[in-house]
Amino acid sequence: MTAALTAPGFPEEAVRARARHGTAAVFPDPAAYGSHLFGPTPAPAGGDALDRMRIVPPVFMPRRLEKLIDLAREPEFGDVDLTTRAGGFTARLPLYLSAFGSTRAGSGDLAVHASRQAARLGIPMVIGENMVPVHGYRRSGDATRSALLARVEAYLEAAPDGVGGIVVQQSTEDADSEVWNLLYSDPSFRPLLESGRLAFELKTGQGAKPGLGGMTVVGRAEAEQLARRFTVREVFGETAPHRLRCATPGTFTEEILRQQLRFMRNNFPKARTWVKFHPGRDIGHAARTAWAAGADAVTVDGAEGGTGWAPGVFLDHVGLPLAETLRRVGRPDGCLLATGGVWEGGRAVRALALGATAVGLGRAALVAVDEDPEHGLERLVDALALELRLLVSALGAYTPGALTPEDLWSPDQDTAPDPWPATTARCPS
Amino acid sequence: MDLPAPTADTTAPGTPPPLGEHLRSPRLRAAMLVQQEALQAARDHLRGEGFTELLPPLVGPVTDPGGRGAKALDVDYYGHPYKLMTSAILYKQASLRGFPRLFYIAPNVRVEPEETATTGRHLVEFHQIDVEIAGASREDAQEIAAGLLTHVTEHVWTTVPDVLTGLGRVEADFADVRAGKYDTRTHQEAVARLLSLGHPQNPDGEIDWAGERILSLESDRPFFVDDYPKGSRGFYDREDPERPGVLRNFDLIAPHGFGELVSGSEREADYATLVTRMRESGENPAKYAWYLKEAREGIPASAGFGMGLQRLVRFLTGLDALWQVSAYPKLPGVIAP
Repeated sequence: MTAALTAPGFPEEAVRARARHGTAAVFPDPAAYGSHLFGPTPAPAGGDALDRMRIVPPVFMPRRLEKLIDLAREPEFGDVDLTTRAGGFTARLPLYLSAFGSTRAGSGDLAVHASRQAARLGIPMVIGENMVPVHGYRRSGDATRSALLARVEAYLEAAPDGVGGIVVQQSTEDADSEVWNLLYSDPSFRPLLESGRLAFELKTGQGAKPGLGGMTVVGRAEAEQLARRFTVREVFGETAPHRLRCATPGTFTEEILRQQLRFMRNNFPKARTWVKFHPGRDIGHAARTAWAAGADAVTVDGAEGGTGWAPGVFLDHVGLPLAETLRRVGRPDGCLLATGGVWEGGRAVRALALGATAVGLGRAALVAVDEDPEHGLERLVDALALELRLLVSALGAYTPGALTPEDLWSPDQDTAPDPWPATTARCPS
Repeated sequence: MDLPAPTADTTAPGTPPPLGEHLRSPRLRAAMLVQQEALQAARDHLRGEGFTELLPPLVGPVTDPGGRGAKALDVDYYGHPYKLMTSAILYKQASLRGFPRLFYIAPNVRVEPEETATTGRHLVEFHQIDVEIAGASREDAQEIAAGLLTHVTEHVWTTVPDVLTGLGRVEADFADVRAGKYDTRTHQEAVARLLSLGHPQNPDGEIDWAGERILSLESDRPFFVDDYPKGSRGFYDREDPERPGVLRNFDLIAPHGFGELVSGSEREADYATLVTRMRESGENPAKYAWYLKEAREGIPASAGFGMGLQRLVRFLTGLDALWQVSAYPKLPGVIAP
């Protein structure tokens, strides 16, 4: 056990338990079976509007009847097919590994372990912005491999054929380093391109600090190195050993977004096009603009999202929570991906019912890998996948795409989602 | 007609032999004879039209962001990250106040994606006859480009006809070019034609390599494609004020499968529009400080184009692949001396 990370405000202990025990952690201790009486926990701690929604199976289940007819036997939870087309990729589960960004927690060995396990799980992986301007790509003439390439290699070594995929973000600072061009013309990315498993994600913002660019804490020496490309500020005091490295958020209008997406499709025709938004108040408009411009996936990051480094005032006061973000998007016109505080099946099912095609694991994945670098993420995901099968089947549905807002009940009147008709065609392949 | 059939896009038109062997080949010698006549003709023609030849810069803090997946090569310039020129378009615009009609024979380097290695039309190192005209419209630039191609073709058939026929070229196939007969169609029409042929062409983007080849193969004379959509070209191609989303630009496509020879446009010169267009193409305006300073102070309106020199020579000689008309070829994705 390495246990070097802490994640206050996040159900870290529960995530660590799952990383150790996998599906066993989905249930109460079997030793207590027959001797304890169980009921709901009185008030789940730290819950937001999404967590407050309850998952409400109906009594009459025409969707289950369809499955019964299909199988010629009563369906069970093991019959839920979690295979998902997400952002142009095939994923074995409606999950993906979110970007960790260039923070120290997100760019070291942990990220490489997480990459390898995501590959084994057959789920896509997003590699964060600012990896190249901060960590470099490849030094000519020696064997030094960048953080980015280390993750790609770990993923490719472990990925089964035909599933998963790698998504690389580019921010304004990355554009200076031409990250996408670099990868697109790199022969070592050819297998990914040829198998249709490379996507580029235009990052316009993030959940932890909507409206701001990326921020990381760097040492003095590193700060001097980066000063030409980033703004580096002495917010911690002149004599402090640390500096704050700030990236710009980039300027977007409807036309700028539309044209940037078209440019990506034009310049990188063999790569898929993803776009990530912060939980802005016009998120519905933004998402529809992106789909209309041909984005293969739109990622929304609730204000609960991000690997966490942000000014306190942003963490506590800024941005829409994931439930309201999804409500404002409404019925998606394309593939919608959601992140923000997901680590177990309940929150994942709620996000899927509100329109997401897949949900991202960020902090949870890092904590799980921190708990067990070899298999922590796989066990966490095994538990989550079991819960997904249990919940989706309980709702009388047998694919995540069949869920709708009707499958949820919200005690908060004004955050109740608007219903829409069931559909499974919102994320075209 | 006995054109040497250009090899299909799906199969590589061979790869260069070792450099020494390539440099000794009679075929390269023939191609270089055609190239030197083409260069002579281009210079004579443009100077006759009142142009001044400048020599282009090789490195700079920014270069043409261009597109289509190609990357600029990085250079450590006294500790500053500089780029080798993918094209000197920004410098052409900046030169207009002193040189209202200018051209370069410009060397360019683009680290093209490997997928272009098999088009027969891409080299990492190549040259352009790079022309810019202050106060000109797209149509003015097209007239110059067409006149240039016609003059060069006429000149090589006059000075080295034996070399061309020795390579299998047939003089009659160049009758339209030499008579100055060019067709014009819009990007939208080109897309519609490709879709009607069952070729899946993105209507918001460039004509893809395979599509361009299809259109080129079914034509007997060179043709312009006008009005590419915004999102397919660089920020400096001027958007049509009457038709938002449509650019005042063009390509000139050679017939018989030889494909694109020229890209050009009316240029954007308005400072605020340039900054906005940079964002629309995902660029960081801060990188372009020197150029934007010029734009703030006033860059003249202009139009211009770049004619690929090796593509021109390949068209004239009828050889299969661009590497056959380059003395020191570097194919995309191939490590070569």
